[in-house]
Amino acid sequence: MKRTRTFRWVVLGLIGFYVLAPMAASLQFSLEAGYQGRLSFTAYSQAVAEPGLAASLITSVKVAAGAMGITLVLLVPTVILVNLRFPRWRTVVDAVSLLPLGVPAVVIVLGVLGVYRSLPNIITGTPVILALVYVVLAMPYSYRAIDSGVRSLDLHTLVDASRSMGAGWGKLFSRVLLPNMRSGILAAAFLTVALSLGEYAIASIMGFMTFPVWLVSVEGNNPYVAVALSIAALLVTWILLVAIALIGSGRRRGSTGFGVGLVDAVDEAETAAAAPTPDRVS
Amino acid sequence: MGAAPGARVRNAGPGARRRRYLAAIGVVPFLAYVVFFLVVPAASVMLQAFRDNNGGLSFSNLSTVLSSQQPWLHSYAVSLELSAVSAVVAAIIGLVGTVALVSSPSPLARRLVTTACGVLANTGGVPLAFAFIATIGNAGVATHVLAEMGFDPYDHGFTLYSFTGLVIVYLYFLLPLVILLMLPPVEALRREWREAAATLGASPRTYWRKVGLPVLTPPLIATLMVLFMDAFAAYATAEALTTGSVPLVPIEIGALLAGNVVSNQANLGDALGFGMIVIVAAAGVLYVLVQRKTSRWLR
Repeated sequence: MKRTRTFRWVVLGLIGFYVLAPMAASLQFSLEAGYQGRLSFTAYSQAVAEPGLAASLITSVKVAAGAMGITLVLLVPTVILVNLRFPRWRTVVDAVSLLPLGVPAVVIVLGVLGVYRSLPNIITGTPVILALVYVVLAMPYSYRAIDSGVRSLDLHTLVDASRSMGAGWGKLFSRVLLPNMRSGILAAAFLTVALSLGEYAIASIMGFMTFPVWLVSVEGNNPYVAVALSIAALLVTWILLVAIALIGSGRRRGSTGFGVGLVDAVDEAETAAAAPTPDRVS
Repeated sequence: MGAAPGARVRNAGPGARRRRYLAAIGVVPFLAYVVFFLVVPAASVMLQAFRDNNGGLSFSNLSTVLSSQQPWLHSYAVSLELSAVSAVVAAIIGLVGTVALVSSPSPLARRLVTTACGVLANTGGVPLAFAFIATIGNAGVATHVLAEMGFDPYDHGFTLYSFTGLVIVYLYFLLPLVILLMLPPVEALRREWREAAATLGASPRTYWRKVGLPVLTPPLIATLMVLFMDAFAAYATAEALTTGSVPLVPIEIGALLAGNVVSNQANLGDALGFGMIVIVAAAGVLYVLVQRKTSRWLR
């Protein structure tokens, strides 16, 4: 028994060290900013003054907002419709939403550049294309977030009750369904935003100065600024992801939260693959 | 189904079918979007891979990729090796970590760990690469500390900007993924099995060798596939860390697309991308096959 306890603490301690050390070291690195032993916020004040930071942040935020908007407008009605009217299609739509997992981001860029080169420049020549593609990249996660939000509702009862009390489809949607799906929608929105803010491959290959792309361009000249901003970026991502996990756990007991993204998706894929009948009792 | 029979009855009738068709149109935007921004681009890559510069059907791109005179086969080898090594190392350490975690059955600790793992598994990309550069890069904090202790890793052949460095960084997001994926099956190992084994005189080692590991093998293989796919498609971390000095397929494709590498074959990138799709698809199929077996075992 005692040996198991020692084993446990040694293993967990080592893993914990591996997780925390880079973060602690980054903080130290950014605070030292090259002056051995002297700590200062120089790197952080330099970072704020760095030309290009504001522009790249604005681009990234716009792209993230766009991707989030498209995601919600596209997925929320689809998920409601599928669950309400076509429960038999659920497995199919579910599988479709998982497809992006099988296509590496680089391949998507290859294809998008190859096929849509001829589209009007306003789409492929501006970050608009990034927002459009990020919707697809985030779909395995955002779809699942919204879908499990809808599945936890008794959709038919809600709809029948509202309709029998005279609510039109518009009112039903805005007053009954959306408020009840709030947590799923929030989780999907946060996931899409977190992914969009951090995506590097597609933006850099297509040559758009989003925040991560700009960050890489700064690193050569001023690694301290780059590390200081990396810490800030990691914190923002973590806050978003923890928020998602908290939102998720409020609703689904025993769930690991939405932060797991891929794992949730993989879980669903497994149940989808294991269950040939689409209408499982959930 | 059988839910809300009232709605069913009301919908029956001549108008119902038309309403159903109308409702079906509501799913079209979603499917169209996926077709437009995923299916068509992916299909285009697969088709272009078999077309020469004039658009004729040809295997010239693929034979270039597979030619031993060209660097591409080597980058596939490096990519595959990197993903496989990262996946196996992460799976071994992660499995030991999961077993250690499960032996402390506090629900709060479990939730804390799963939330943290969920967050860390999604931590990657540029900021992670820079965090490691700040730690054990050639001017990193840990490098400095080690050098003062008389062991500068950079004097002993280590460098973060290499294959080994990439494995170390990839573990950062792969390990939490292992814990998330293996926690349910490890928890499903019944205490009774261990007790029965002990009663029959098995040592803990025999228990793990004869009972624990065989039961965990299918989910472990499934986990390996997920890790492999995650590592194989990773781009940002590798690019930010090595700026292309380790030849990985995604980075080579990026260089071709950005025009940093010039080739007289216009569709060479598509051929490289086609290879990636094939490899990821193979891992995906294996995942699904193994996963079916898993679900049967651990119920």
